[in-house]
Amino acid sequence: MTEEIIKVENLTKVYDKDTRVLENLTMSINKGDWTSIMGPSGSGKTTLLNIIGCLDSATKGSVFIKSTEITKLNQTKLTKFRRENIGLIFQQYHLVPYLTALENVMMAQYFHGIKDENKTRDVLKRVGLEHRLNHIPSHLSGGEQQRVCIARALINEPKILLADEPTGNLDQKNGEIVLNLIKQLHKDGHTIILITHDPDIAKLGSRIIKLIDGKICADSSCNEN
Amino acid sequence: MKRKSRIAIAIIAVIIGAATTTALLSVSLDVNEKVSHEFRKYGANLVVVPKSDTIEVGFPGVNFGSITEQRYINEGDLWKIKSIYWRNNVLGFTPFLYQVVTVGEGENEQQVILTGTYFDKEIKILEPYSTYDKTIFQTGIQQISPWWEVKGNWIADQNDTINCMIGTVVAEKLDLNIGDTFEIRYRENYSDSINKTIYNLTVIGIFETGGNEDNQIFVNLQVAQNITGRNGKVHTVQVSALCTACPVDTFATEIEEKMPYAEGRTVKQLVSAEMDVLNKIQNMMFLITIIALIASALAVMTTMITSVIERQKEIGLMKSVGAENKRIITLFLSEATIIGIIGGIFGYLIGYILAQFIGLSVFTMSITPRLEVIPIVILISIGIVLLASILPVRRAVKVEPAIVLRGE
Repeated sequence: MTEEIIKVENLTKVYDKDTRVLENLTMSINKGDWTSIMGPSGSGKTTLLNIIGCLDSATKGSVFIKSTEITKLNQTKLTKFRRENIGLIFQQYHLVPYLTALENVMMAQYFHGIKDENKTRDVLKRVGLEHRLNHIPSHLSGGEQQRVCIARALINEPKILLADEPTGNLDQKNGEIVLNLIKQLHKDGHTIILITHDPDIAKLGSRIIKLIDGKICADSSCNEN
Repeated sequence: MKRKSRIAIAIIAVIIGAATTTALLSVSLDVNEKVSHEFRKYGANLVVVPKSDTIEVGFPGVNFGSITEQRYINEGDLWKIKSIYWRNNVLGFTPFLYQVVTVGEGENEQQVILTGTYFDKEIKILEPYSTYDKTIFQTGIQQISPWWEVKGNWIADQNDTINCMIGTVVAEKLDLNIGDTFEIRYRENYSDSINKTIYNLTVIGIFETGGNEDNQIFVNLQVAQNITGRNGKVHTVQVSALCTACPVDTFATEIEEKMPYAEGRTVKQLVSAEMDVLNKIQNMMFLITIIALIASALAVMTTMITSVIERQKEIGLMKSVGAENKRIITLFLSEATIIGIIGGIFGYLIGYILAQFIGLSVFTMSITPRLEVIPIVILISIGIVLLASILPVRRAVKVEPAIVLRGE
């Protein structure tokens, strides 16, 4: 029995009055699924991910996550909801440059109102960075920075992970390390939405949604992974 | 690196404001206290002088000037100062009779002020006041001015007509030491070389007050009166009144009632010119401080707004990983508070040096460091920085993570 964890209904996002980024988009995602989102630049992939990730607001329509209508939450509740339910993995990693790997991860924990250094060490160990805890981002490779970013996304134990081209800035070797980590997280039961331009990476998911001009143009289940 | 220099600029801005505030507070508090302390050291806070009539001289429409008649206070009336309503608050008083005398011969001849006073005198209080007060009141310059630094001895005997005390300047000018005897000459008319009084005095003590007294020769009042032929007369009387709650002005009025030919002037009135200078400097420094604080606030605000713009990505990131607005506000206000504390501490140190400079150059006195100024300055610095943070923090709160993380 599959359980619906995310439901998007007639979602529209308009920027600057007339730039329609998402147009009446409707979809749902089941718990534990890995959904890959593809589409050309400007098709609305990141905007969709940001709205689901509670980082952006919808112009019209609704988004439900675990039966909470997040499009109706105010800023404070939205922040709290995101903190507790969603982990974000960015293409650019977005680490604080003057904080160490450990501190970058602990920062997310701190905003969650917890300070547990041992847990942070464990999460960094899980992503294979136990030997790089006290290095600042500029002293880490791209792959290592992305793994810090994944550790940060995982620290508050969210059920949903949103990844926006997580391997976009990485070489093949580091890309594989990161993808293996995401695969493991999927196996562990996380619901994953991953944006990618790479069809091979998209195929790792159980479902591929293709967007063009803010609309779903294809939605297929993949059984090849 | 950029961030560090921006913080440094904000701290420097706070230091400037805090330094000016420190200088203002230190100078104001210290000079005020030192002036008050000087008054207390001075002992007397009331001076009684004879009222003088001024006679205009000339023809109608043509004024040749005025003649002021020299008047005196009767020594016999001095006890009346101890007969006023507030007499128990009169700690002491001492009369002064001044006269210029000549000392030395030929090229070494010098004019010096001879001052007759009470050193330690027993004053008899007459009826009816003696019935409920002590009949004898011990007073004199030793009670009024106990801080005089005396080498040798005070004149102890109220009937001593041989000894004198001289100021350090006189001792130096006339090359006199304790035990030396010297001659003074007094002429009613300076041009009168025949009718002059010659008197020999022996130095019993050399004193230093830091004031005009250092240029004078002090003798028992009766000696000065005898030499100048002004028996029973004095020029002024200094009164030391213990007056924390009572108005000194009332003392003056009451003394005037007892001695209608005299008037009482409070020391506060006498130093009003100096107090005016202090007030003007305080007002000017207050203005400068306000301007400096506004300038500091503007500099801090500009720096912090730039910092917020530069850190938009960081703020967006913090929000994306779960930082609520109150966390962002707390973060920036904590940074601002630290800037305020550091700026306040360094500002205090620099301000103290500035206060010393002002103290020495304007008031010729050093400024004592005052601990109570430190928390005030730090609190003002924090307040200014927090005030300057309102706009930048509002801007930080408005940062939208999605836009920032997209790199727009």
